[in-house]
Amino acid sequence: MQDQQAPESRATIRQGGTESSQDEVARLRAQLQEALACQSASTRLLGVISRSRFDLGAVLQSVVEMAARLCKADHAMIYRLTEGCYRFAAGYGPYHPDYLEIERHERILPGPGTLVGRTALARSAVMIDDALADPHYEKKSDARIGNVRSMLGVPLVREGEAIGVIGLVRNRIAPFDAPEASLVSTFADQAVIAIENARLFDAEQARARELKESLAYQTAISDVLGVISRAPSDLLHVLQTIADTAARLCRSDKAIIYRLRHGAYCYEAGTGNVSQYIEREKRTPIAPGIGTLVGRVALTGSTVRIIDALADPDYQPNEDARLGGIRSMVAVPLTQGGSPIGVLALARSTVEPFGEREVALVETFADQAVIAIENARLLEAEQARTREISEALEYQTATTELLKVISRSNFELEPVLQMAIETATRLSRADMGSIFHLQDGCYVWRVGYGLGPIYEEIERRNRIAPGDDTLVGRVVLSGQPLHVADALADPAYGPRREAEVGNVRTMLGVPLLREGVPIGVFALARRRTELFTSREIELVTTFADQSVIAIENVRLFNEITEKSRQLEIASQHKSQFLANMSHELRTPLNAILGYTELMQDGIYGALPEKAANVLERVQSNGRHLLGLINSVLDLSKIEAGQFRLNIGEYGLSSLIETVVAATEALATEKGLRIRTNVVPNLPHATGDEQRIAQVLLNLVGNAIKFTDHGEISISAGTFAGRLEIAVSDTGPGIAPEEQTRIFEEFHQTDSSNTKAKGGTGLGLAIARRIVEMHGGRIWVESSLGNGSTFKLELPVRTIEANPGGGGSSR
Amino acid sequence: MKRILVIEDQEDNRAILRDLLTAAGYGLIEAVNGAEGVARAEAEMPDLILMDIQMPVLDGYDATRLIKANPTLAATPVVAVTSYALSGDETKARAAGCDAYVTKPYSPRQLIGVVRSLIDKDK
Repeated sequence: MQDQQAPESRATIRQGGTESSQDEVARLRAQLQEALACQSASTRLLGVISRSRFDLGAVLQSVVEMAARLCKADHAMIYRLTEGCYRFAAGYGPYHPDYLEIERHERILPGPGTLVGRTALARSAVMIDDALADPHYEKKSDARIGNVRSMLGVPLVREGEAIGVIGLVRNRIAPFDAPEASLVSTFADQAVIAIENARLFDAEQARARELKESLAYQTAISDVLGVISRAPSDLLHVLQTIADTAARLCRSDKAIIYRLRHGAYCYEAGTGNVSQYIEREKRTPIAPGIGTLVGRVALTGSTVRIIDALADPDYQPNEDARLGGIRSMVAVPLTQGGSPIGVLALARSTVEPFGEREVALVETFADQAVIAIENARLLEAEQARTREISEALEYQTATTELLKVISRSNFELEPVLQMAIETATRLSRADMGSIFHLQDGCYVWRVGYGLGPIYEEIERRNRIAPGDDTLVGRVVLSGQPLHVADALADPAYGPRREAEVGNVRTMLGVPLLREGVPIGVFALARRRTELFTSREIELVTTFADQSVIAIENVRLFNEITEKSRQLEIASQHKSQFLANMSHELRTPLNAILGYTELMQDGIYGALPEKAANVLERVQSNGRHLLGLINSVLDLSKIEAGQFRLNIGEYGLSSLIETVVAATEALATEKGLRIRTNVVPNLPHATGDEQRIAQVLLNLVGNAIKFTDHGEISISAGTFAGRLEIAVSDTGPGIAPEEQTRIFEEFHQTDSSNTKAKGGTGLGLAIARRIVEMHGGRIWVESSLGNGSTFKLELPVRTIEANPGGGGSSR
Repeated sequence: MKRILVIEDQEDNRAILRDLLTAAGYGLIEAVNGAEGVARAEAEMPDLILMDIQMPVLDGYDATRLIKANPTLAATPVVAVTSYALSGDETKARAAGCDAYVTKPYSPRQLIGVVRSLIDKDK
């Protein structure tokens, strides 16, 4: 710059050589002053540039000011290229305020119509001698306002492009010259450097800022993720952290997370400086609709931005928004598997629209909120499942315990009911419970748990009739489980004072039903108002049902005990009666038969023949009566279960010999023969010898009785490891339909026969019982006209009486 | 002459036994219940006792027990004469110390047989 200036100065001096030396000196001095001023201005400007690289406006201000002053311009302005046109950047007056206003709003394109446009086009200094006279100059009216005449335009050139223009103006026609243009060019170059410096600085600053921002975002996101992973169960804390972080990073005054519940969006977590606003949001669920930010997100399912809530025609601002609490807003949907589950909304109290970067960040936070909610849901579901399983297990265990107690205590009801009510109370999360049971038409307290001594005493004295005024009364009327939602608030509930004493609020009553009849009531109560869940009602019902079973068990047990006691007594009475009857019947018979025999034996002297015949008849009838009495007694003993076998060893062949010996006389009397056919070496048997002899005597006696011609044969042997005995006769035989009935009590083949042949009709029935008690069987093989064969089969060893033989009618 | 103590509450039965035993050549002592029977036994020292079981005041089982508990009478045969026919009667009689057991109604011939066998054995 000095190099350029120096020759010019010298030239001026040479030119001035013809003028007076005084003028010459003055002019030189002025030039020197000017050069010095220029020099110092340049130096100052460089100082400004170097000092204020952050404040481009100040640099440009200095540039125009110095250019104007050094070139004696009336005003100067500097324009910068932004977005394709040249715009006012700084100026140095004085100038007309209207003109400044005009210039501030100008957007100047390259072209001959303006000084700036022409300079930009030329990319070199342009001089207009008189703006008003220049044929191409288009802004003549503006020029008049600004009093613009001579103009100088110098471009700010960087890499061949005009990035700006310095314009100098004089209010009179005094054209700028080349040295002035050159001087301004120097300033222009410095302005270029300053602009470039500032640009580079800004770019670097922006990059640094961006980097810092990214880092902050990154940190925030990982912080939120940390919170999510650390405390998945504390969803509210996680969402609060997300809202706080979103608000902080997006420089928002409020950030709120809403969750979709039953078709409306409800406040879940948020941060904000207006607590009233938050309180309102907490109370008011938001429905889809264009009037609210959240409503719009719900409608569109996508991110919604509102630049200014107060300027949005469709937005219906609430009080806070109207007061200026809310201006620029953004809201992002929270979606899970394509379905909306909530909204994350941010708001600023100033009009400062959210940028793309911020929206992207808010969307990231929204995603994290979804993850957190889903995590919490999964965890909750998992915990619920675990809780459910352990609850079910607890119920199961309790039920099993109760069943154990029930099965252990047959006749003690109290411990069972106590355990039932305790467990039911505990598991249904009630505070107290009682069992009432039906007694003389009223329901009275039986056992309880958790009532406290005073309330228990009240309940103990209670006698509750069916009716609408008590829980128990209502339950027995309906036969169904019933709630009293709040004893203190139920107008129909009678014993309210007692409920106050017992601190009773919500009550549950479950009937104990036996065949549909309420025999009692399970009454549970809470000290708080909270209805029992259907699961809890089901549980209490289970315990009630089990209690019914227990009550029923005890009742049946007592009944059976009582019945068998009565039976025992009846049986003793019967035995006593039998003994007495036996004694009473035999005693007179003893006299009859005894005297008969004494008379027959001639103790009282010889008898006439007729009398002897009569005595014979007395004796035979007496013996028959004795037979009857013995049979009835045997049968009665069998019926009473008092007929016992007297088990011992016996030999069958000798037993048969005895029977034959006892009956032979009878057979011979009727002209009948008795044949025996006993297999030799029969095994020694065990059984009641006397009773088996009784059976055989009966069979042989019958055979003799019913056979008029022929013979009786007795055979014995073993068959399949059992003793087999047969008694055959050549009598009339028994019709097939009679063959089983003859073994029944009081039956004979033909009642007319009975009188002719005698007999009680009990012998075969008793024989069958005796054989069956030995574990054997008896039957008859016969056909009319071909005689009968009675067969019996006995185990070789009978250890003890077979109870099956005790009698089917027992 | 051997003497037999008949302890029996029924007059008819005592009469039969009186006729039967007198005819058979035995001397007779009578008692109408167990208590009297024990007293008579201790006083008379009979050769055999016919003991009814079901009697007032003291029944046959207890009377037999008392008699058998007395060392001077323990060897005297006691024949239970019972109209009980329930199982266990004979067992009970034997447990009380009876030497034989005859159920009513008995055949006088049979009873004399039992008496003779016990008194002969006693000899």
